Amino acid sequence: MTSDAAAGHRCFLHATGSYGSDAEFLSLVVPFLQDGIASGEPTMAAFGPHKRQLLRAALPYADVTFTEDTEELARPAAVIRSYRDFFAAQVAAGAERIWLAGEVPHPGTGVPWDWWARYEGAANYAFSDFPMWGLCAYDRHTAPPDVLADAERTHAWLITADGEYLANPHFEDPADFLRSRDSNYADPLEGTAPAAELHAPSAGAARRAVAMAGTGCRLHPHDLHDLALGVSEAVGNAHQHGQPPVQLRIWVAADRIVATVTDSGSGPADPFAGLLPADRSTGGLGLWLMHQICSYVTMDRHMDGFTIRLIAGRPVLESPR
Amino acid sequence: MRLSGEIKDTHRLGAHDHACWVYDDPAEFQAHAVEFLTAGLAQGQRVYYLADAGMHELLQVLRHVNGGDEALRRGAAQVHPIRTQDQALDPAEQVDAYAKATEAALADGYTGLRVAADETALIRGASRIDGFAHYEYLVDRYMTCNPFASFCAYDRTALGAEVVTQFACMHPVTSVGAAPFRLHASDSAALALCGELDLSTQDLLKLALERADPEPRNGELVIDASAVSFIDHRSLLLLARFAAERGATALLLTSSSGPARLVDILRLPGVRVERIT
Repeated sequence: MTSDAAAGHRCFLHATGSYGSDAEFLSLVVPFLQDGIASGEPTMAAFGPHKRQLLRAALPYADVTFTEDTEELARPAAVIRSYRDFFAAQVAAGAERIWLAGEVPHPGTGVPWDWWARYEGAANYAFSDFPMWGLCAYDRHTAPPDVLADAERTHAWLITADGEYLANPHFEDPADFLRSRDSNYADPLEGTAPAAELHAPSAGAARRAVAMAGTGCRLHPHDLHDLALGVSEAVGNAHQHGQPPVQLRIWVAADRIVATVTDSGSGPADPFAGLLPADRSTGGLGLWLMHQICSYVTMDRHMDGFTIRLIAGRPVLESPR
Repeated sequence: MRLSGEIKDTHRLGAHDHACWVYDDPAEFQAHAVEFLTAGLAQGQRVYYLADAGMHELLQVLRHVNGGDEALRRGAAQVHPIRTQDQALDPAEQVDAYAKATEAALADGYTGLRVAADETALIRGASRIDGFAHYEYLVDRYMTCNPFASFCAYDRTALGAEVVTQFACMHPVTSVGAAPFRLHASDSAALALCGELDLSTQDLLKLALERADPEPRNGELVIDASAVSFIDHRSLLLLARFAAERGATALLLTSSSGPARLVDILRLPGVRVERIT
């Protein structure tokens, strides 16, 4: 049963809860899903294979939609897009509430955190027009402290171990949260000399530099092509919206390519840029595209300006600075 | 099969080809014109040489063509001086004139018509630029299915780099580096595009589309993009907008997976992509 405080909530309810064991995980998530099933509304679970198995065993024959692990669900911009489509279809079919429990990747699950932190912030805005109740479950033993801290800043509701819904006093305005954080991410390769360094490259020269870099790497041609497209867009944006000088650097390892584009401007003004589609009439589709076709994208404002980092292949975890 | 791409000389140009040569030194153009017209005579075509010069000077150039003197005597070769004119050009009329000349050449037993023309004088003066660019597209459409080939030259020193690029990009074949992409006619589509299209070519593409002014059919503007090696979402949206202004959707024919992926991921409206092999 949901507590009185949340019961009247008609629009998007973004809640988080943590667990320290499989048993605690089930006692957090199962009642939430059961509320959804009991209400006869669409009920969804988005977890990795192990948790899926636990939930299927705990809720046999229950009407729960489990998401599969796809490349799409590994990229937050694509997740937002596909969830919005799913929610819209459910609402069109008459759903009055949609129940979604899930977990977000983080270094504890082997995935760098930054763009998922931004996802948690942006979700408050991206799903605000849907009657969706979302529970983001975090494993407090595997999730690093900064991940748990960001989770606390990005969810308006907390679900306690007893299943009680509490308004979260640490919740921040999503735009303020997004503006306040830089990724601070760097790939360890960036401590070495780049494979290519181009000053004020044209978008075409940038595409060719990526293609050239790819010859020294085991990346799938499809991923390499997407990175070239992403870097082309980043360089185009730097020339169009940023400030000179524009600099492209590329590092290559056997399993990934890291590209950074730096200009001396201050980066995109829209804190949601990249994760949400921009208005087509004003442009800005490029950043959204990069976020959907690259395996990792970070954005940093620093003393020299703005750097966007695009990775193809498997991104490694943050290296300590 | 018509040639599409960049050339270093005129040797590969055939009976339907339309090439643009951008030069800084007139002697360089004249040398290639001689090479182009010599090949035309060898293939049994009637050849024209046109430039902004007096008859004597034009005939001097034709003397360097193999068999040029003899061809002049029997009417296989002709020279025509062209001059800067004030009145606006009628593109359709101009194409019609070449169509009649091509038919006359065929009637006289030639295999077709081949023209080397320094068109610099024709586009001096801003009022003629749009019309002449539209002519380049229309005449290209005529060439796709008639034995008329043209080697068009533009003087970069006289016209400026920007203007010559605007004309070069409206030819299926250009001298090396003359245009970042090419837009021309096609016998199977409203227009064909070649090369790379991104942020840097946005303005030029818009201008070329407006000047070519290709007509949609049955609510679709069919674009043969099989020779496009890169196209970004801005250019796709530009094509979609251009088609929409003419009450149509843009249909891009391409052999690569990139454009369809962009349309799909960004849900670009007004443009459809079909894979061709």
